[in-house]
Amino acid sequence: MKILVALKRVADPANHNKVKIPASGDRIDTAGLEWQINPFDLYALETALRLTENGKNPKKREGEVVVLTIGPKETETNLRSALATGADRAIRIEAVDEELDGRLVAHALAKIVEEEKPDVVMMGKQVVDSETNMVGQVLAELLDWPMATFAATIQEQPDGLLVEREVDGGVAKVKVTLPAVVTVDLRIVSPTSVRSKHTEAGFKYPYEEVRFAPLPAIMQAKKKPLAIKNLSELTPDLKSTTRYVKYEAPPGRKAGIKVKDVQELVQKLATEAKVI
Amino acid sequence: MVDTSVSFMRSLCMGVIEEQIVLPFPRVQDEQRETLRTVIESIRQLLGSKETDFAAWDRAGEMPKEFIEQLKEFGLFGLIVPEEYGGLGFKSTAYSRTLQEVAKYDASVAVTIGAHSSIGMRGLVLFGTDEQKQRFLPRLATGEMIAAFCLTEPGAGSDAAAIKTRAEKDGDDWVLTGNKLWITNGGIADFFTVFARTGDESGKVHMTAFIVTRDMEGVSVGPHEHKMGLRASSTTTLHLDSVRVPEQNVLGPLNKGFKVAMQILNNGRTGLGGGAIGGMKRLIEMSTQYANQRQTFGKPISEYGSIKLKVGQMVVNCYATEAVVDMVAMLIDQGYEEYAVEAAISKVFASEALWQAADEALQIAGGNGYMCEYPYERILRDARINRIFEGTNEILRLFIALTAMNDVGSQLQELSSTVKGIFDDPIKGFGVMRQYAMKHATLVTGYPRAKSRFTLVDPLLREHAAVFEDATRHLAAAVDRILRKHGRNIIGKQLASRRLANIMIDLFVLACVLSRVNSSLAERGAEGAQRELDILKVFANQVQRRVRHAFSLIDINDDELIKGVADYAFEQERFVWDNI
Ligand SMILES: Cc1cc2nc3c(=O)[nH]c(=O)nc-3n(C[C@H](O)[C@H](O)[C@H](O)COP(=O)(O)OP(=O)(O)OC[C@H]3O[C@@H](n4cnc5c(N)ncnc54)[C@H](O)[C@@H]3O)c2cc1C
Repeated sequence: MKILVALKRVADPANHNKVKIPASGDRIDTAGLEWQINPFDLYALETALRLTENGKNPKKREGEVVVLTIGPKETETNLRSALATGADRAIRIEAVDEELDGRLVAHALAKIVEEEKPDVVMMGKQVVDSETNMVGQVLAELLDWPMATFAATIQEQPDGLLVEREVDGGVAKVKVTLPAVVTVDLRIVSPTSVRSKHTEAGFKYPYEEVRFAPLPAIMQAKKKPLAIKNLSELTPDLKSTTRYVKYEAPPGRKAGIKVKDVQELVQKLATEAKVI
Repeated sequence: MVDTSVSFMRSLCMGVIEEQIVLPFPRVQDEQRETLRTVIESIRQLLGSKETDFAAWDRAGEMPKEFIEQLKEFGLFGLIVPEEYGGLGFKSTAYSRTLQEVAKYDASVAVTIGAHSSIGMRGLVLFGTDEQKQRFLPRLATGEMIAAFCLTEPGAGSDAAAIKTRAEKDGDDWVLTGNKLWITNGGIADFFTVFARTGDESGKVHMTAFIVTRDMEGVSVGPHEHKMGLRASSTTTLHLDSVRVPEQNVLGPLNKGFKVAMQILNNGRTGLGGGAIGGMKRLIEMSTQYANQRQTFGKPISEYGSIKLKVGQMVVNCYATEAVVDMVAMLIDQGYEEYAVEAAISKVFASEALWQAADEALQIAGGNGYMCEYPYERILRDARINRIFEGTNEILRLFIALTAMNDVGSQLQELSSTVKGIFDDPIKGFGVMRQYAMKHATLVTGYPRAKSRFTLVDPLLREHAAVFEDATRHLAAAVDRILRKHGRNIIGKQLASRRLANIMIDLFVLACVLSRVNSSLAERGAEGAQRELDILKVFANQVQRRVRHAFSLIDINDDELIKGVADYAFEQERFVWDNI
């Protein structure tokens, strides 16, 4: 199976308090932010790796994983680290973050899909910065492919993927034929969430997160191919159609209060918070 | 072309500023930066979630075998092994940066890796024959073999030349017998770089380095030592009982073991330096977070000047340590041959800056700092060793100062071919000392000489460069005056040497900070590098005050008095006064 994984870099969510908005409110000041791959996209990468290996022998790829990002040169660091964890090749589409929106990204991805012809395009269900949750869906529409969003488990079957999707109030089981677009949710990295046809039934991954690269793999990743393309060449006639009017920091939270006893608590809930 | 045989500090002691050695400041190449970032991120994922384990292993006094296996699999034992032997092929800069990252999480882990790479197998990398490398490096790279460096003995620590372990030639083999003490990794190592006495025909005593492996008959190690810090790192004795070592395990030139040992230690120093930087960065994180959140008298303690002073100094020292350690790593990586003084300076400065930071961070945390529930006390215990091992700071200060003075002795040789350096023949040498002093009077008066100024730094830094230049004249004058004052007795005048060493340490670190800020200025402009300019200013002023003070004590001091007080105590072996 050949899987194309789309990655986006985001400001480290653990450092969100470093995000600054200048008084003008016309942009987000990104100076001093630390960047990393969107956590959901990392789950997508982990999923792609699991789908292209026998869990018992994760060093050998049974298939191909191509990672892709759209962004400036610095994002190559993120691509290299994805290569180090096991991806085979990388593609970077040169662009600055400000000129992108979900629709444009989906169009650019569709172009790459035409060239690469993967069996699956895999990505996180959303990015933790803009939270638009649309690229996977738009892409499936553009390609006219089946899609499975919010995947929590994936089993590879002879004729496609059996996907359990997390939906409000339960789990929806869908079967997609390939090629398909899949976006993944948090639980996809549980020890038994993903099983390729190479992995035997009952196998459990010994960790419940995303794998990280041992140092020798990091060195080997330097030799893996990384192709660079230009956004303007892929989507010459398209521009972002999203206009940002103003940036504002969310209002700070008010300090809490301490109550003496349950009685006071109940009283405050009723009179001040007005929730009971 | 740069002349890689020149040492910045040794030249400086003659009043010559070889600025092209330290300028521009070494920056990691783009591609390597990318690799290092990935390495750092992976290390965070490997070690970042293990704080409770590290605390538990410190208490238990050991790290579990499974964890060492994890380190092996992760590739941390292959850092300095060339790629053709299956390692990562890191040079000093990348190696030091990697150890920095490991040390942020746990010093015992850093020292386990460091003893393996900084000293344990460095002799093999530096001096090994192709056959020896072929035989051992692939296994050392994967950690299948862990390495240890075995010099110290019960009767020979600082005085390494006093080792008693003997190697006797027997047929084609050498037979080694003796006991080594406090060997880091002793309990987990299979590859030992062992130093033993070897004599030549004339009966003169020499030292030679040997590769000894665990599987050789007669090799055994003692139990795990109970220590103040680095408790999870393995430290044991090593016993060699008539161990037969084949000739092809002689490491480096026969009878040149002392030089081999010193070169290993010098070349490996950026590992310890990197570790110290990692420790300091962590302490700065801990202290700033703690001080921001701890309130007294209705305010966070970070608002009090006394706390700001501690944190500010930590930051200045950390910046300076990183500058000097990276500079030494660059000197090594660029192929400079004379960097022993600079490396020694980086070790002394780094170990003392880390100790001060650990002490102040604990103070900022108050009573919590003293509680084992918090990591401060462990970091403090772990940090203490750095001033002792890989050459105590006392010995390194003597080395720094005496090298400078020896150079002046050699210069004398050039002035008069009949005179040998004072370190070979002090009495004769002293005769022309006065001549030398006259000739170099220009230094004291500030008469401009060649290479007495920094010409390559940004004009914005002129004021700080001037501090350095001025202090350089003090340094050259200090060497001069100390030699004139003590002449052939200088070797016994440790307090004078110590002063000189302190001046040299301050000046080299200042040169590195100046260079680092100069590069930041070029990259980010005056506004972007504003804080760094402030750091430079603070550090340069501190250096200026210390150097002036040290200089003023050359002629007028209480050296003899205080030594007399000590001698009295040595005589009594107790404190004799009492108020009851
Ligand atoms: C945890 C730990 C790990 C170690 N790991 C290793 C290892 O892996 N391999 C190895 O070979 N060794 C190792 N050592 C040994 C270490 O390098 C020595 O302890 C160190 O060199 C000092 O020697 P010493 O302890 O004998 O002190 P001494 O030499 O007895 O010195 C005692 C004190 O006197 C001072 N002093 C000594 N001579 C002079 C002088 N001429 N002038 C002024 N002051 C002087 C010293 O600075 C020190 O303060 C380790 C030690 C420890 C504690």
